[in-house]
Amino acid sequence: MEILQTTDLVKTYGEGDTCVHALRGVNFTVDKGEFVAIVGTSGSGKSTLLHMLGGLDNPTSGTVTIDGKELGNMKDEERTIFRRRKIGFVFQSFNLVPVLSVYENIVLPVELDGGKVDASYVEEIIHTLGLDEKVNAYPNQLSGGQQQRVAIARALAAAPAIILADEPTGNLDSKTSQDVLGLLKVIGERFGQTIVMITHNEEIAQMADRIIRIEDGQIA
Amino acid sequence: MSNVIAGIAVAALLIVIACMTIQRHRTKRLLRRLDEMLDAGIRGDFRATDYDESQLSRLEAKLEQFLDSSAISARNVSEEHNRMKTLISDISHQTKTPIANLVLYSELLSDANLSEEQRSNVEAIRTQAEKLRFLIDSLVKLSRLENGILSLSPEQRPLQSMLEQIHASYKKKTEAKGLDFVVNPTDISARMDEKWTTEAISNIVDNAIKYTESGSVRIDVQPYELFTRIDISDTGIGIPEAEQAQVFGRFYRSARNKHTEGVGIGLFLAREIISQEGGYIKLSSGETGTTFSVFLPRGEILQN
Repeated sequence: MEILQTTDLVKTYGEGDTCVHALRGVNFTVDKGEFVAIVGTSGSGKSTLLHMLGGLDNPTSGTVTIDGKELGNMKDEERTIFRRRKIGFVFQSFNLVPVLSVYENIVLPVELDGGKVDASYVEEIIHTLGLDEKVNAYPNQLSGGQQQRVAIARALAAAPAIILADEPTGNLDSKTSQDVLGLLKVIGERFGQTIVMITHNEEIAQMADRIIRIEDGQIA
Repeated sequence: MSNVIAGIAVAALLIVIACMTIQRHRTKRLLRRLDEMLDAGIRGDFRATDYDESQLSRLEAKLEQFLDSSAISARNVSEEHNRMKTLISDISHQTKTPIANLVLYSELLSDANLSEEQRSNVEAIRTQAEKLRFLIDSLVKLSRLENGILSLSPEQRPLQSMLEQIHASYKKKTEAKGLDFVVNPTDISARMDEKWTTEAISNIVDNAIKYTESGSVRIDVQPYELFTRIDISDTGIGIPEAEQAQVFGRFYRSARNKHTEGVGIGLFLAREIISQEGGYIKLSSGETGTTFSVFLPRGEILQN
């Protein structure tokens, strides 16, 4: 079953002679439960693509459909709520809230949504990611790898339709990268989670079930 | 006169406000009741409480109907599961003796005084019988794993003794092909079900030997923070990138290896076992040589 679909996705910055074609008609689909890596060098358009997929930026033309809803058709407020419920983000820079504990960071998106925290589900995620002993710690007391595990737990907590990971291991050494990615892969399989990961690193990309290569704003 | 009109207007306004308040209160109560109904449905103890002509009562009846039909399908699934369990165990038990006899009689026959052609025919029968045995064994194991008939029991174990055992069972095979088979000693442990992990790694080693004509097969272990990494490397024909994702597929056989005996189930089973243990397998391959890296959890992470 398709969970994500892009149709003729185009993004152009600027106008006239100085305009930059960041995306030149990108078409692909991702099935439920798939772990897909989007690989490209810097400037290939992969980050622009991720912003479109996450509804963080609007395409010049074309559509992004997630779980049957087209992002472009939504009003701002609707899209914000949709994003909170349906899309989990994992960033290179972890983006944890420094004044909140590990547990508070993990349940933050669910609480923002006004939902009841499913305590047993959250506990299962924390245990599976090996964070039991860290739930009361603060982000600055954790190693980079541990912080990224918290970010993965936070992305999973809302049980989103899709997790978008932008260079999730960009700030980690190669052994820790392998560990964190391994965890993401195993947990993705266990919770049937769809994951789309953007990376420039071939070895990291090999962890995915499928690799989509992007060059010069197009799928290679 | 105008006083009367104003009075009526105020009264009408008050009535409207009163109606709206009552309506709001009712809607709120209805939504709260629906929320409670769904919670009870999720917990599995929903019972209809109202029996009248109201919409709520009809909704209660509908929810009960829905939950009943879900319960019936769950029961059907469980019955189906039991039938499958019986079928798998029948296949496993009932094919053992005939296949063992096929192998035995072809071995007896090959001891007889045979012509070159007859000998090669007998050898073909024996090879195919062995292949059939491996295939049925693997499929039975696989369905038991996939259908949860059999579950693994991982515990923290040192790797050395398991790797030594694998080395011992494949030593002859590598020697026969003139390959070096090296297991680097290690004191590292991993959380695993030893019997099944042996099976998974043996399948990978068997594959490595099969597709390596000269050079070596080696096993190295490295610790990571969360996982233990076991590399099985060979100096064989390598796997092109386009094929790398496919080699773990069920019954996948590369077009390049049609002349080599195999059924294409070993790696699929290996991946199934490792992923049930909370681990994963990664593959890297160049023009010559392939490394399968098995990552097993080190501690209690990723356990069910």
